[in-house]
Amino acid sequence: MKPLPLHGIRVADFTWIGAGSFTTKLLADHGADVIKIESSGRMDSLRSSRPYKDGVPGINRSGYFADRNSSKRSITLNLKTEAGKDLAQRLIATSDIVANNFTPGTMEKFGLGYEAVRAIKPDIIYIAMSMQGSAGPEHKYLGYGLTMGALTGLQFLSGLPEREPAGTGTNFSDHIPNPCHAAFAILAALRHRRRTGVGQYIDVAQTEPTIALLGPAMSDCSANNRIQERSGNERAPRAPHGVFRCRGQDRWIAISAWQDETWAALCKVLGDPAFARSTQLATAHGRWVNRHTIEQGISAITRYWDAEDLMSALQIAGVPAGVVRTAADIVDDDPQLRHRGHWVKLAHPEMGESVYNAPPFRINDAPATPVAPAPLLGQHTNEVLTTILGLGAAEIEALRREDVLT
Amino acid sequence: MYDAAIKPRIGETVEAWSVPGLAASGAPAALTGIRVLDLSGLAGQYCGKQFADLGADVILIEPVGGSPVRREGPFLDDRAHVEFSLQFAYFNAGKRGAAIDLDRPEGQHIVRQLAKNADLIIESEKPGLMERRGLSFASLVASNPKLVMTSVTPFGQTGPYANYEAEDIVALALGGLLYLGGYPDTPPIAAYGNQAYLAAAQFASVASMMALLAADEGGDGRHVDVSIQECVTMGLETAIQFYDLEKTVRKRASGEQIMAGVGVFACADGQIYLMAGGIASTRFWANLVNWMVDEGVDGARQLLEPAWQSHDYLSTPEAKTIFRALFAPFAEKQTKAYLYQTGQSRRIPICPINTPWDILTSRQLEYRSFFVSQKHAPSGRMLTVPGAPYQLQETPWRQARPAPRLGEHTSEILAELGYDAAARAALLKSGVIN
Repeated sequence: MKPLPLHGIRVADFTWIGAGSFTTKLLADHGADVIKIESSGRMDSLRSSRPYKDGVPGINRSGYFADRNSSKRSITLNLKTEAGKDLAQRLIATSDIVANNFTPGTMEKFGLGYEAVRAIKPDIIYIAMSMQGSAGPEHKYLGYGLTMGALTGLQFLSGLPEREPAGTGTNFSDHIPNPCHAAFAILAALRHRRRTGVGQYIDVAQTEPTIALLGPAMSDCSANNRIQERSGNERAPRAPHGVFRCRGQDRWIAISAWQDETWAALCKVLGDPAFARSTQLATAHGRWVNRHTIEQGISAITRYWDAEDLMSALQIAGVPAGVVRTAADIVDDDPQLRHRGHWVKLAHPEMGESVYNAPPFRINDAPATPVAPAPLLGQHTNEVLTTILGLGAAEIEALRREDVLT
Repeated sequence: MYDAAIKPRIGETVEAWSVPGLAASGAPAALTGIRVLDLSGLAGQYCGKQFADLGADVILIEPVGGSPVRREGPFLDDRAHVEFSLQFAYFNAGKRGAAIDLDRPEGQHIVRQLAKNADLIIESEKPGLMERRGLSFASLVASNPKLVMTSVTPFGQTGPYANYEAEDIVALALGGLLYLGGYPDTPPIAAYGNQAYLAAAQFASVASMMALLAADEGGDGRHVDVSIQECVTMGLETAIQFYDLEKTVRKRASGEQIMAGVGVFACADGQIYLMAGGIASTRFWANLVNWMVDEGVDGARQLLEPAWQSHDYLSTPEAKTIFRALFAPFAEKQTKAYLYQTGQSRRIPICPINTPWDILTSRQLEYRSFFVSQKHAPSGRMLTVPGAPYQLQETPWRQARPAPRLGEHTSEILAELGYDAAARAALLKSGVIN
């Protein structure tokens, strides 16, 4: 077994809520020493967001917080005090990366803007992940994951054309586009620093990675003058392509069988139904034109099938098909995710054993996994001040009395 | 980087795109010196693009008939042609392109030679296919000990589903995101735009970069195994924890306010998203209500009563109904832009539900020079496309060369390997390359 890829890298982590914390989780689960700097006065608001262990609220009981903060350490510093700022600066002086996703200007208020930090640690990699970037006419506008989905176009484009835009049903940008882009930028900057000794400032506007993923829709609009409409589960020229009802309460299967071979295989599994024999359906184009008839015909049969049985039958026949799994299904019953070891159970001092996401990839010889549950608020304050900053017990006690470590 | 003043004009040509390793401004590139072979399709090409845009030399290797992504719309001028796919053009900008038949021994030999000088190979074939071609990680790393190979597949290299078939919607289904999308009275509805494939490509970029750093550090080459299904599970927000900790299964819920003051509201020219509660707590509530009062909304004052400070009350059908009855008629008369600008000036988290056009004309994105002009070589047109998704001050994202035409750099790349004109002609004649 080799050391994890980011072993030896330290992150002074000022991120909170979604996108920032998920970015530094990726680094922490791969061996970086991520020290989350919090304060009880201005806590990460996910600590007070549902769900809680057993439904009982508590700052160390939120699952929303926990999954985003595995493998990290937590210290509490009161950055409104000079001594608190000084400790933050001393910690930064030992760090490779400083991360935050505050509104622009917040870190500057604490004396921890890029210029100030660079004066302490010239080769620092400093990433700021505000909602709309560090400058511009709307850079101080308020926003959260859901309003961001609205700004990026992903919400407008997802859902049914005649209904209000649906989006993904989640704060999507927070969980995949922003953390992945931010982590990639940090890693690229680490490579540059390793080769040249030069650190840098990275500015990620939390709207822009998602818009970047929608490049084809943007060029369809700019070049073809077309504003794409929501199309439900239709993806031209694919038909049949969609979600079909199965037996039981709210059970569904996703099927894409638009090519000649997969269409033939689907029909065979469904018992060669009469509607499917029409010569109009012999070509992909004919199936697209008649997609509504086809999809009704398929639903009329699938509703008598168990979704898991149908997926197995279709996959054996080579048809792309997948049960629309619920959270319960994928935690308890997905044999592939179990094989991958995706869900990791970690024992948390207050929450007991709870479920965490492992990284969704495996690097051979160094498989990363969350090694520690989310930290309690301030759990590692003494440890970090002692082992990294070399403070003695008496000094720490004095700081505590002066309200610096709250 | 690029000139923000450049707007696309039909027929305009710009030949001076940057060369690998050096941005137009002369700034260094973060990934200069990295050679990438991108053998992937829809599930990997964004990964190759991310490397190219930060300065890696990325060679797209596609089948002699063209990458399947060339057959994916939208198409420029709706012309369904391998050189007119806007999807292909966007995801492959910045790469060189070679068309090589990997099912022929001569084609496999070319890739084995290329792999000797590559740092990273990205591939998205079914598990086992690269091995049958003699192009497995184990065989390639034998002649290039620091090689990183990233394999992106629907379910991973091994396991009970390893040989299952999947398209984007199937991975969204088995990864749990599809169940959360759509309205309570409809079937689950998939997110727009191949988000499962793109999730995998993004995690492939992160993983590849980690493996490259590890290999560079004096370690050995690495094989990275990315599962698209598993990548989708990263995007479920709180659904897993609600089940694990509270034993409740989250369902699709679009079309309704999450709580009073949180949700979609129609306005004169589209919709806006209002978020005056929830994670934002209720600290913006008074700002919202005062705005409504100032705008002359009759009855808005009742929203200042203490009950409206409670999440529990805001979550009741009664609160949602009362709030909608007050806010919806006001919002309906206003434009997205008015509600956004005025609401934000009053410190209320409210945003337009932007269409692609709104985004292309956003003043904030214009200020950041986010959109760039990119030549579409086959037509000579300039396309307006998203530019830098991250601004690295020292090593800026670079305006990339246009996506390669089919086989555009085949000859150049074979010449670099030492194939002379006669050898290249023979390979072309026998259909191994294009």
